[in-house]
Amino acid sequence: MPKLSVLSEIQRKSLLMWPCIEHDDTPWTPMVKPLSESKVALVTTAGLHVRGDKPFIQEHTKGGDTSFRVIPRNAGAADIIQSHTSLGFDHTGIYRDLNVTFPIDRLSELVDQGKIGSLSDNYYSFMGALRDVTGIIEDSGPEVARRLKDEGVDVVLLTPT
Amino acid sequence: MKPPRMLAVPFFFGNALGEADNPEYQHKILQATFDLLDRESGPVLEQLPDDMVPDILMQGSETENESEEKGLNAADELTSLRAYYEQWTESHGGRTAVGASTIPQRRFRVVVRFLEGYISREETDMKERPGDTTVPQFIRHCVNDLKAFYYEARMAQRPNGADRDIHDWFWSATAMGALAMSLAQRMRDDEDAEVQAVAFGIAR
Repeated sequence: MPKLSVLSEIQRKSLLMWPCIEHDDTPWTPMVKPLSESKVALVTTAGLHVRGDKPFIQEHTKGGDTSFRVIPRNAGAADIIQSHTSLGFDHTGIYRDLNVTFPIDRLSELVDQGKIGSLSDNYYSFMGALRDVTGIIEDSGPEVARRLKDEGVDVVLLTPT
Repeated sequence: MKPPRMLAVPFFFGNALGEADNPEYQHKILQATFDLLDRESGPVLEQLPDDMVPDILMQGSETENESEEKGLNAADELTSLRAYYEQWTESHGGRTAVGASTIPQRRFRVVVRFLEGYISREETDMKERPGDTTVPQFIRHCVNDLKAFYYEARMAQRPNGADRDIHDWFWSATAMGALAMSLAQRMRDDEDAEVQAVAFGIAR
């Protein structure tokens, strides 16, 4: 995200008052093998999903939509749309190029170049701009983590909105 | 928040990898991110050394819409843009950001009539609205599809146009921009809190 100093006053105030979670510690996991031998998954909070899948609910009246969507790795850019359509950010970039938020082509290129070992069969997507993330902490987050572990994922790249 | 490894980037929301259609730069961001994996302890929080300053997103209230003075109406306007929109999708392997409403773009004139009826407080709905989607939520999907249609048409029409020029065109010159502003005002004036919340995402 940009520095607060370059935002409009309304956005700056909104972010400064955002109900962020404060953690006491960090879930640190050291790398046990090089990236070139690791399986990488992509997870985003950009509210993306496969065309025809249920759109995320965007309004904040209930704290936000804490569900997740599965995006198969073999889904192409033409198969993926965004239902996080907030006026708080410019969608023109993602209209032009999905990779600016969800770098599916870039990751495939890194595999082709031998810099990444492999990619997971499934990627995952959450909604952004959530005011209450309890549902992710208690429910959808652990479920996605379990799926990633079951698939043998070593590294997760999280891209925000 | 103390995530294990985080690269702070200076880009505006929605542009985590810096710049659309710039694979080389996107790879630079990814390399800087994956470099964090080599650290021996965390949390790791690093700032991308870059001086790119993002442009602040233009909103509809920042300009005067001239479409009514020019006698434009949204239904005819979107029909006139259809060839450009289809040119965009054809040149991008079928990719389009249109789709949340599930209504085919060839039926968008019906969507315009639906929205105009809603603004006029008529009893209005569309058979395509899923049963578990409220009318306000469905309206938001429709408006987002219409915006994406316009933006993609404009990008085909003006391939070298800057993003800010597209925003300026949409909110200043198009009947659809005026319709979105009217729709948002209609929803802000509603007594239902859900409708008011949706208004915030239509235009402001």
